[in-house]
Order: sequence, then C-alpha cells, then structure tokens
Amino acid sequence: MPTVQSSFQAKMTYLRTHNRPARTRTRIIVIACGILVVIGGAIRLWVPYLLPGIFNTIAVPFWRAEFSSASGSLDSPGAMLAQNEDLRRQLADAQVRLQTIQGIESENADLKALMGRASTTPYILGAVLSRPPFTAYDELIIDAGRDRGISSSSLVYAPGNVAIGRVTEVFADTSRVMLFSSPDETYQVLIGPSHIAALATGRGGGQYQAELSREAKVSEGDAVNSSGLNDRPFGVVTSVLSDPAQPFQTVLFAPPVNVYQLRWVLVDAKNIQESTAVVKEPAVKAKK
Amino acid sequence: MNKQITIRILIDLLIVVSILNGWWFIALPLGLIGAWFFPYFVEIIVAGIGYDSLFGYGSVSGAWGYAGMIVSILLFAGIATAKRWVR
Repeated sequence: MPTVQSSFQAKMTYLRTHNRPARTRTRIIVIACGILVVIGGAIRLWVPYLLPGIFNTIAVPFWRAEFSSASGSLDSPGAMLAQNEDLRRQLADAQVRLQTIQGIESENADLKALMGRASTTPYILGAVLSRPPFTAYDELIIDAGRDRGISSSSLVYAPGNVAIGRVTEVFADTSRVMLFSSPDETYQVLIGPSHIAALATGRGGGQYQAELSREAKVSEGDAVNSSGLNDRPFGVVTSVLSDPAQPFQTVLFAPPVNVYQLRWVLVDAKNIQESTAVVKEPAVKAKK
Repeated sequence: MNKQITIRILIDLLIVVSILNGWWFIALPLGLIGAWFFPYFVEIIVAGIGYDSLFGYGSVSGAWGYAGMIVSILLFAGIATAKRWVR
C-alpha cells in the first residue's frame, strides 16, 4: 500500500495542466513571433502603406474625437451658438479692418507715386539695411547694388527729393552710401530766400555748416536748397552764429529729414550725368 | 472573468491609448509590467509595430523608424529570459 500511495503522490505532483510541455510551447510562441515579424517586414517591403493605413484607420476616429474635444466641438449647443456669434462679430470687424487697410495701401501707393517713389520712376528704391551706430557715422548700407544697376557716385535722396549723400562703394546686392554731412564733405547749396550761394561742409551726425558774409540775411528756419537747375530741398537753417569781431557768420543747418531714421532711400542711378551736373565735381569729394 | 485577464485587458487598453497618442513613455513601462506579470505578452510587439506604423517609418528615416518594433521584440525576449532566470 505505501508503494501505491507513493505512486499516486508522484502522479499528483507532476500532473500536466497542458497537452504540450512548457519548452515546446515557448518555442512555438517564439517561432510565431518570428513569423509575425517576418510577415510584417515582408508587408513593409512589398506593401509599404498597408500597416500605416490600417493603424491610421484605427487611430483617426480617436484623434478626431480628441481634436473635437480640445477644440470645443463637443460643447453644449448654447455654448457653440455663442461662440459662433462671437466669431461672426470678429469676422465682421476683421472685414472692416481689411477694407481700411486696403484703402491705406491704395493711398500709400498714390503718395509714393506723388513723391516719385513709385516703381515706374527712374529712381531705384533701396531699403536702409544698416545705419549708425551699426555702421560708421554718416554712412548707410542699402539693399541695392550692382544687381539693381547702381554705380559708384550715384546720388542718394531721402523721401521728398532731399539729397543726402552719394554711393561710394557698390557691391553685388548692397551699396555703401556716404552722407554729405560726413566731416570734410562739401556740397554747393543755396541758402535762404535770396539764394545765397555757399559751400556746405559736413559736421557729422547729419549736420552742416556754411560760412557766409555778415551782411547776408539768413535766419533760422530758412530753406537750404541744392545748387543746380532743379532746386531741391537740402536742409533747414537751425542756427546762425554771428561774431561781431569776425567778417563771416556761420550758418548751421540740418536736412529736413532725420537721416538716421530713414527706412527707404532713392538712388538716382540711371542719370549719373545729371546728378554730377547738380553736384559739381570739385565741390563734392568722396571720402576715401 | 478571471481577475488576471481583466487586468491584462486594462493594461492593453492603456497601451492602445498611449500608442494612439504617441505617449511611448507611458506605453513602455506598461509593456514592461505586462511582460513581467503575464505570460506571452505579445501585445507589446503589436504595440511596437503600431507605434512605428503611426509615427515611425512613414515619417522618420533610418533605423529610428523601426525603434518601436525593435524595442518591443527586445523587451519581449529580454523579459521572458529574465523570468526564466528568476523563477
């Protein structure tokens, strides 16, 4: 009997719960996984968009639901109606603003044409890329160069046909502009209502000075024009310094525009001869 | 239903949600837990292939596009081996 009991216990201890042994089952699972991977690789190789298509088809409804939830599409009808009303009001406001902007753009184009800055004018419009203090004082870098037909010694104007300088160096797509207000630069001008001829000398920082006889009647606010066939505004007298002991008075003037706040300039590149006629060569000495 | 099967289905659902959102950093620990506590947790391989299909080789070039599948297979094999050593 003890032998029978021992045999029964041994049977109970090693009773199989599965038809196959564990090692065989593991092997089958590993092989199945390997086959799965191989099938996946083959599908990826021959039908590359099959798996992404299937998984995307499964995922898209969830993504849409998530997006709808995040964007408020699942809100209550009342909230959505209120939001719709708000959006309609914003749209109407935006349309009004758009019409205003279109009107301003049209006006801007008209004004540019009026000021000779339209694209049909012979001037080349150049954006000021760099100005003091990032460049040397009384020097500008503009975004027009040889690619736009600019050549050395072309005159440069601020809006309003105010001559402010001339091109000293031309690069492929940029140019360096030396302002007439640079120290030691000289320029022939006509000062005041009597058009008194004088030689303006740059003082730096957009300022000029000229020496006139003490008898010349000049006062603050008088216009200074560039000398030539076409008188163009050059500056406005800011101060007149007179010393009774001296036979001359010093007239200080500045351009009517702040040259250090310019965003755009006009370059008269096509008509250098006319420019040089306006600016007499001996009077203007480009700074080397 | 068996309690173990219920927990396994719950973990599977969490993995699916994580994969759909691209939250691999949640799917990975869940896969680790599932592979450790449940026998033959092949769901992680499916999850890896799914992650690659959604966010992997369609948009990412090179081996990184298959990172999900590679990691899941390594995880599956590694955990199975570790379990055999420990138990």
